[in-house]
Amino acid sequence: MAAADDAASAGTIPVQQLRAGDHAFVGYDDDDAGRDVVAGFAWAGLAKRERVMVFAAPQLAEDEVWDRLDVPGPLLGAARDRGQLVVSSMRALIHPARTFTPERQWQRIEEETDRALADGYRGLRTYIDMHWVADLDADVATMMYRESHAEHLFSGRPYTEICAYDSRWFAPEVLTAMHRAHPCRLLPHLGALHTEHTDDAVRLAGEADISTREQFVAALREGLARSADAGRLTVDLSRLSFLSVACTMDLLRLAGSATHDRIEVRCQPTVARILRRVDVGPLPGLRVSEVSR
Amino acid sequence: MPAPASASGDQPAAPLLECPFTQGDLPRLRMLVDQYAHREGLPEPRRGEFVVAVDAVATNAIEHAGGGGTLTLQRADGHLECHIHDSGPGFTADAIPPLAPGIDDHTAGHGLWIATLITDHLTISADTNGTTVALTMRLPH
Repeated sequence: MAAADDAASAGTIPVQQLRAGDHAFVGYDDDDAGRDVVAGFAWAGLAKRERVMVFAAPQLAEDEVWDRLDVPGPLLGAARDRGQLVVSSMRALIHPARTFTPERQWQRIEEETDRALADGYRGLRTYIDMHWVADLDADVATMMYRESHAEHLFSGRPYTEICAYDSRWFAPEVLTAMHRAHPCRLLPHLGALHTEHTDDAVRLAGEADISTREQFVAALREGLARSADAGRLTVDLSRLSFLSVACTMDLLRLAGSATHDRIEVRCQPTVARILRRVDVGPLPGLRVSEVSR
Repeated sequence: MPAPASASGDQPAAPLLECPFTQGDLPRLRMLVDQYAHREGLPEPRRGEFVVAVDAVATNAIEHAGGGGTLTLQRADGHLECHIHDSGPGFTADAIPPLAPGIDDHTAGHGLWIATLITDHLTISADTNGTTVALTMRLPH
């Protein structure tokens, strides 16, 4: 099972929809694929006044990691200098311990979360590339235990974590188990659109824009076709982080030409506001309901 | 690149963001605009609408003005301004339908029309170097 397939399965969300307290899995299968995920995760943390710690793949030079995080303008700015954005390693985190144990790592993450709060930040977020397992010669089964028993780090605590797995290194059964063990699964890169179908619903996650418009329209058409006999369709856009104007008009156009008795669109408040403000005339069977993650 | 006046007529501040773009850059660009707007204090849902408007104008440049342009984001006198410049054949505010275009009207400028609807101010200026669309959102005090 490829990581990309893992990442595109049910329940997947875009990195933009991560919330404080989330523990997320993301898979990657080339060295640049997840570049935007770590950068976007870090930028969002800085904007939210959280401390961000990036535990990158140990084989990357620190300068390469900083290059990946770089952003035009002042967003990064002094964050590095004042210690809001930190590049480190699992080896350094558990120091002076030399052997990985879940207990030592949990202890250090709890300490770092407390330290972030004491320093005036709203919380801590970490991006952990799982290549640290090889770097510390750790037991994969022990790592899997840690991943499956880490709820206390997140419960009622302002701590958010992405665990990034290289599918070229981890065995398929490990990837499958870790994908299931994480409460959140992320799309592998910015700009992706993932679709899921049932007989009475089409669910979309990610971004519907100029690059994914054909896929978006095809998914709606398939959903309408599959539900034509029943005459009812749910279009679940709640895991879309972006819906372009053109895709909004496509949605309204297709809904307007369908013979369905009812088409319910479930979406985030921004999308709902735009759907309501676009005065395209009566679409009697269309219902828009707001949902928030 | 022409330098449109800020909403207040004051000298614009140093840009928060200034970068060229093509189609593949849009997801990253949207995320940056969102983060900078958050940083400058533009709350939801206005921030999400701003990103939709910026994307609509940038997509217009990609589709009709040579595949890309340059985006500049800056704060000026209590406003957040985004200028999108392209080197295409140029257009004027006449390209924006005055009323809601029908959903079956594929020739209408839906993107620019909605961008006008959801931002506080939208202006179009053109010269021999191309066209600049300026989108402005008022920031809370």
